[in-house]
Amino acid sequence: MPLTRSIFSRLARNAILVAVVAVLLLGGVTWATLEQAMRRSLEENTATDVAGLVDIYASGGRAELLARLADRYEVEELDGRKTHYLLAESGKSLAGDIASWPSLNPATSQRGFITLPGGAAVYARTARLDENLDLLVAREYSADRAAQWRVIAVFLVAGLLVVLVVWWIARATSGSLARRVAHINALFRDPGESQLEGLQQLPAEPDEIDELAANSAGTLARQARLLRMHKHMSDNVAHEIRTPLMHLDQKLVKALAANPEPDGTGPLSQARKDIRGVAGLLDSLLDIASNEARRGDRAGLELINLSELLEQLAELYEGSFEDAGLGFQTQISPGITFEAEPMQLSRLLSNLLDNAIKYVPKGGTVTLELAPGPRIHVRDDGPGVPAEKRESIFDRFVRADKSDASGHGLGLALARAIAERHGLRLVLAESATGAHFMVEPM
Amino acid sequence: MQQAGEQPTLMAKPATDGLEILYVEDDADAARAVVELAATHGDRVSWEATGEAGLRRAGMQSFDVIILDRMLPDMEGLQIVERLRAAGLDVPVLMLSALARSENRIEGLDAGVDDYLGKPYEPEELVARVRALHRRASGQAQGAVILFGAFECHVKARTAFRSGKHIPLSPKEFELFRYFMENAGETVTREMLLRDVWKMNFDPQTNVVDVNIGRLRRKLEDGFDKPALETIWGAGYRLTRGE
Repeated sequence: MPLTRSIFSRLARNAILVAVVAVLLLGGVTWATLEQAMRRSLEENTATDVAGLVDIYASGGRAELLARLADRYEVEELDGRKTHYLLAESGKSLAGDIASWPSLNPATSQRGFITLPGGAAVYARTARLDENLDLLVAREYSADRAAQWRVIAVFLVAGLLVVLVVWWIARATSGSLARRVAHINALFRDPGESQLEGLQQLPAEPDEIDELAANSAGTLARQARLLRMHKHMSDNVAHEIRTPLMHLDQKLVKALAANPEPDGTGPLSQARKDIRGVAGLLDSLLDIASNEARRGDRAGLELINLSELLEQLAELYEGSFEDAGLGFQTQISPGITFEAEPMQLSRLLSNLLDNAIKYVPKGGTVTLELAPGPRIHVRDDGPGVPAEKRESIFDRFVRADKSDASGHGLGLALARAIAERHGLRLVLAESATGAHFMVEPM
Repeated sequence: MQQAGEQPTLMAKPATDGLEILYVEDDADAARAVVELAATHGDRVSWEATGEAGLRRAGMQSFDVIILDRMLPDMEGLQIVERLRAAGLDVPVLMLSALARSENRIEGLDAGVDDYLGKPYEPEELVARVRALHRRASGQAQGAVILFGAFECHVKARTAFRSGKHIPLSPKEFELFRYFMENAGETVTREMLLRDVWKMNFDPQTNVVDVNIGRLRRKLEDGFDKPALETIWGAGYRLTRGE
């Protein structure tokens, strides 16, 4: 359903990502710290051991050293690290449980992590006791490693739990935020009076979204109130002017009954026609105002088949074009739908077609075209409109031809207001010959 | 009052003489004009000046058509329609109002009004609309062939005849002819034609409807002496018997 990418689901996704990265990073740091501690402890251990044996050799000589080395195998290691020794002379083993000398140089007291011929992973330290007499002390660290893995495992489980909690909180929060914002969006799309009332009341401890909702609802309510007032005012104006016009008209009807004017061109008939004219003028002005006021308001719009509406209009006008000695061509793409007030759109287009009939001289051609968009073109090959007047013909009470007294000069102003009420713009496009009216999305 | 329903289906002209009309209007002059107008056509109008009184009257007596004003002192005319409909009364309602812009008409139709006419109005147009409303409401079924005077309209085959002679018509012209046959002998207004034949609810600034009627008229009258369609000044057109 969502037409937009939700900012909240992105926030939730980012929160989870940050939690995962943080857990992994902390896990890595912990591992490195434990590793370092283990190395330091192994180094100290072996260093102490080697130092002790060097002392023994220095004070007791080779025999004493061999005896002590033999004793070492009897001792149970307290830290659970198994120790291995090797005492070699010119590379030949004198004592110890290591089969052969590994790749560590005793001359430089080299130390490091190695694997013994038996396969045990150890930390070893070498020392040269005498010319050709070398000592190697190695300690296994598998127990340390196991402990390290245990810590990491605990850490990962805890981390996973944290990520899950973050995921759950993020999902719940973003879901609730998204719902609240969707609610505000729905209000803008279709403002309902009762909902507007409710949202304007702030809860006891409002947050930013409550405030946004209240402000939006307030604005929408104010807009609805203005539209209502505008409508009320228009209706009152219409009523107050049309009622006396009707009384006047009824008196004229009575007068006509007493003094018939069979051809309908006498002064009484003319007066009645003028009354119609004033009423029409009033309606056009109020309709322009109403369409301008409701620009962007979706209330009252319905999905219509625009192609069918244009076909109907074309059928209605065909005869009028022929009678006026004009060619009339249509090019209407089928199946184009649009959200509109059909009555108003018909007026817009009939105003354009009426104009063409009025201003295009005999022998001309008028084209009505509908393309997806929707884009509607009404083109003719008549005298057209000079470039400097292309905007002003949409002003109220402006006629293209000053000598023409018919109409009020409101037709195009109303057509434009209707277009804009529907999110469309009506312009007189550039054209080499004739006039080219174009209706297209804003 | 309901003779119309008993007519055979081939009979196109329903009896609408002597309609009982309720008119709710607070403007006495306006009401008087309608009462007098109805009287000249043999209809009787009961006039009420407030919405409440109108609703009461509508509940007590049966009417063929109700005409309502919108801006009444005690309520909006639309409310009356809503309350009538809510009470299960489906009497055809014509709104006769100074609020005559398309916006107002849509509100009326949405509220359940059957027809809408703006003030000031042509007296003959009001008569025609009221009669058409009553005809529609009494809903006599039309057969496959509608006969009126010299005219025949074969609805299924979409063909037209005058005195047995086939008249070639375009699809839209046939629709127009059929509409006249369905309302034979009655005045049909331009707005009714626009609404029912072209499915359009607006008032074009030029004589597009007359142009289309002119074309139909030429075809219906081609080769005959007597006129087929007569113009009713200030209201619209009427199909003659053509004999």
